[in-house]
Amino acid sequence: MKFLRRTFDNLSIPVIAVLLGLVASSLFVALANVSPIDTYQRLFCEGFGPRGCETFGDLVFIEVENEDGSLQTVFSPLYGSGGSRIALILEQITPLILTALSAAVAFQAGMFSIGMDGQFVMGAITVAFLGYALPDQIYMLAGVSDPEAAPEALKTAMHLIVPLICLSAAMAVGAIYSWIPGYFKVKLNVNVLISTIIFNAIAVQLVGYLVNYPLRSDLNNIARTRRIDDTAWLIPFNRGIFADVEWFSGARVGIGIFIALAAVALVWFYLRRTTAGYEQRMTRGSSLFARFGGIPTDRAALRAMLISGALSGLAGALAVLGVERRIVDGFATSGVGFEGVLVAILAKESIIGILLVAPFIAGLNLGATNLQFGDIPRQLGGIIISFIILFSAMEDFIRARLTALFKWRPTRQRSAPDGEGAAA
Amino acid sequence: MTSAVEIQHIRKFFSSSQVLACDDVSLDVKKGEVHAIVGENGAGKTTLMSILYGLVTPDEGQILIDGKPVRISHPNDAIFHGIGMVHQHFKLVPSFTIAENIMLGIEPNRAGFIDSATEAEKVKQLAESFGLPVDPHLRIRDISVGLQQRVEILKILQRNAQVLILDEPTAVLTPQEVREFLTVVRSLAQTGRTILFITHKLAEVKAIADRVTIMRRGRNVGTHDAKDLTIREMANLMVGRVVSLQVDKSPAKPGEVILQAERLLVAGAGGIPAVFDASLELRAGEILGIAGVSGNGQTELVEALVGMRPVDEGQITFLGEDITSATVRERRLSGLAHVPEDRMTTGLNLTTNLDENVVVTNYQNEPYSRRGIFQFAAIRRLAQEIVDRFAVKSARVGEDIKTLSGGNLQKIVLGRELKGDPKLIIANQPTRGLDVGSIEFVHKTLVEERDKGSAVLLVSVELDEILALSDRIAVMFAGRIVAVLDRSEATEEKLGLLMAGSTLESLEHDEAAAEKATPV
Ligand SMILES: Nc1ncnc2c1ncn2[C@@H]1O[C@H](COP(=O)(O)OP(=O)(O)O)[C@@H](O)[C@H]1O
Ligand SMILES: [Mg+2]
Repeated sequence: MKFLRRTFDNLSIPVIAVLLGLVASSLFVALANVSPIDTYQRLFCEGFGPRGCETFGDLVFIEVENEDGSLQTVFSPLYGSGGSRIALILEQITPLILTALSAAVAFQAGMFSIGMDGQFVMGAITVAFLGYALPDQIYMLAGVSDPEAAPEALKTAMHLIVPLICLSAAMAVGAIYSWIPGYFKVKLNVNVLISTIIFNAIAVQLVGYLVNYPLRSDLNNIARTRRIDDTAWLIPFNRGIFADVEWFSGARVGIGIFIALAAVALVWFYLRRTTAGYEQRMTRGSSLFARFGGIPTDRAALRAMLISGALSGLAGALAVLGVERRIVDGFATSGVGFEGVLVAILAKESIIGILLVAPFIAGLNLGATNLQFGDIPRQLGGIIISFIILFSAMEDFIRARLTALFKWRPTRQRSAPDGEGAAA
Repeated sequence: MTSAVEIQHIRKFFSSSQVLACDDVSLDVKKGEVHAIVGENGAGKTTLMSILYGLVTPDEGQILIDGKPVRISHPNDAIFHGIGMVHQHFKLVPSFTIAENIMLGIEPNRAGFIDSATEAEKVKQLAESFGLPVDPHLRIRDISVGLQQRVEILKILQRNAQVLILDEPTAVLTPQEVREFLTVVRSLAQTGRTILFITHKLAEVKAIADRVTIMRRGRNVGTHDAKDLTIREMANLMVGRVVSLQVDKSPAKPGEVILQAERLLVAGAGGIPAVFDASLELRAGEILGIAGVSGNGQTELVEALVGMRPVDEGQITFLGEDITSATVRERRLSGLAHVPEDRMTTGLNLTTNLDENVVVTNYQNEPYSRRGIFQFAAIRRLAQEIVDRFAVKSARVGEDIKTLSGGNLQKIVLGRELKGDPKLIIANQPTRGLDVGSIEFVHKTLVEERDKGSAVLLVSVELDEILALSDRIAVMFAGRIVAVLDRSEATEEKLGLLMAGSTLESLEHDEAAAEKATPV
């Protein structure tokens, strides 16, 4: 009973927030001269539904035509190409989960770091470079002139070692890039929010410069780095082991999703089961209490910043090694890091919550991107998402209104102080 | 006299903490009286008042105002019926002025814009009509706690409150402010208003209350005319047994020197020196009291001794070792315990559960963790041990502590700090805000620890407490230790004068002069 009630409490607020977000953005949708209902159906169908999805109902059950022309009702989320939507969402949540974890770890140490974008691109550029430079070096050392003709044993070893080194290097770079603002905070009391914003800007400019000049690989219109070596590539399922499975056909989801899920488990364990996680949580809960108890609060905060940076760096590395395989100019402004911050905030920094919120945001993003294929302006998608996020963040407000609503009783007598009607 | 408020058969069960906070409570408050409500922490006083003010919905019972049953389900209803409440923790906006706070939500406006001139003028008139002068333009963050309280009271008077609920109004005030406050309460009662006044200080009840209601474990155990009960009788009724207001203790048997501070210079907030040239020595088996008006450097001295504040000059020696620049953890490991001034933010972390609170001083050691990983069974055992040993009511292993009462919170702090037989206990205002039963418990515990051979440094602004517990007494004034007396030479007057800035020499001089003036 208690459990049911808690679940209801936890679920009802987000659902109401989404509804309010939809109602509020109707104004803008109406301004664009399209029907709100149509727009929302389309948004959710493109985000979460199977192919052919047109109404909200189709999100759950959809009628499909069999090969012989007969109709059949199927459970949409698992149906054929409907599943490919799941694969797309999995592709999108891989970096989202990691950057959200990154934000949650920092927040749970009382460090309001939003440096995920900067750490993400720093991690990405690291592996974009190492992804070809490292194999080059190995071939040279091994005396192999033509990589195509390299011995199989060497290649197998490299397939294991190169990605590992790349991922570790990206984590180290992200960690350092996050540690610096942390150090400024601890030693000089520089506001983390502001310093991480600046660090993000620096990282974007730096990566832009590197991609345009030193690491530019060819005279392609848009500057880009050289493609990483095959041995560094984390082959997505649709190109590798599940090449024949329809589900994975359109999505570049790969080993990264498992790394992200493992990170969820590890971060949860770190925060809840280790003394190091305890130190950082106590530091955030009440730093006076932590210092009173003898907890080395500065060390705990810096450790949190290192872990946070490593997670974002890892996200950036997986985006390059598993999806992009190179950095094209403009990559640095993708904003995945900031979306991670949003996911962490919406999940109220709960590690399990991140697992629920990330797919939702990813699906909405997918839906918004695909809105334009109808006659609905693409920008509407962004507006709708923003409103939903805004209302989700107003949780306390909604909760207070709800309580007031339930408490409200029509027997209140305001006009007649001496009235008899107020009798209980 | 007619009744202003009648509370009938109120019952409230908090399912989240499994506490029956109010158990069939009835109360009849007469118009124009000062009605005190006393009871131990957790007796249900705040809950009862919150029900009357519409903040908490009762499970059963009803409320009558001026003889008519009313339904109060929101503070707006309470205000509508002329009931106002000043909470234990003030709810003012620090960055707003006094006038803005008082008029919050009912601002006079001109074409939709707040008319701040009229606002200030109105507040000024209101304040003067009640004889509670304030400067409406001051900001809340710049004024004293006593003045903030006055603002809270004006705020409810502005809303025409006829019944004023004051929840532990004097707990946060200095003795001066308390005296002023009591006069204000009296004069408000003379204007025909009814005052419901919650307090722990039974002397205040004797001083201003007409009647007093005593609550114990959620029940009203009796309403009496205040003049019919002695303080001792009230204390016994509150706790439900005979409490000793005196502390029984045998003479100290001081042992070796445990703590030595030499010529400490410690900076306070903003880098301004708060402790000058302070030296003290503390031996095993004795209680050294530090008396002083609050804000004379006691807090900074304590923080320097426990390692939470750097020492600029001087030396601290603990058990023969120089710990001047040792960390909090190093000091704790060598046997220092600390009961801090503020249990809500320093002594405990109210955002987490009991287990994580009791383990904070020891989490990095076996058996509570092994190679950095928590061993929850051991931690739960520790929590249970503390709950059992100190009889912490309604605290449960693994559960949140934020709804526990002050006395129970302090028991958790004590239980954690006394675990493992510390050599030195530094206790800063250990009984602030506690009820008589809890105070008795804290005092008994500190004396027991002394008798077991610990050294105890007791910092308190309550002279009674210092006199009752200390074997020796140091007095702090303006950051300096101006005198160290033996308990036998200390009297309340002497300490009072020293605390106000007199020196020992001048006191001796005065005594000598007095002796000369009155020939034997
Ligand atoms: N909101 C709440 N939820 C759960 N338990 C509560 C809540 N408020 C108070 N309690 C419990 O009810 C009891 C009475 O509390 P309270 O009325 O604050 O006592 P008092 O003001 O007399 O010290 C305590 O045991 C307290 O822990
Ligand atoms: Mg209370």
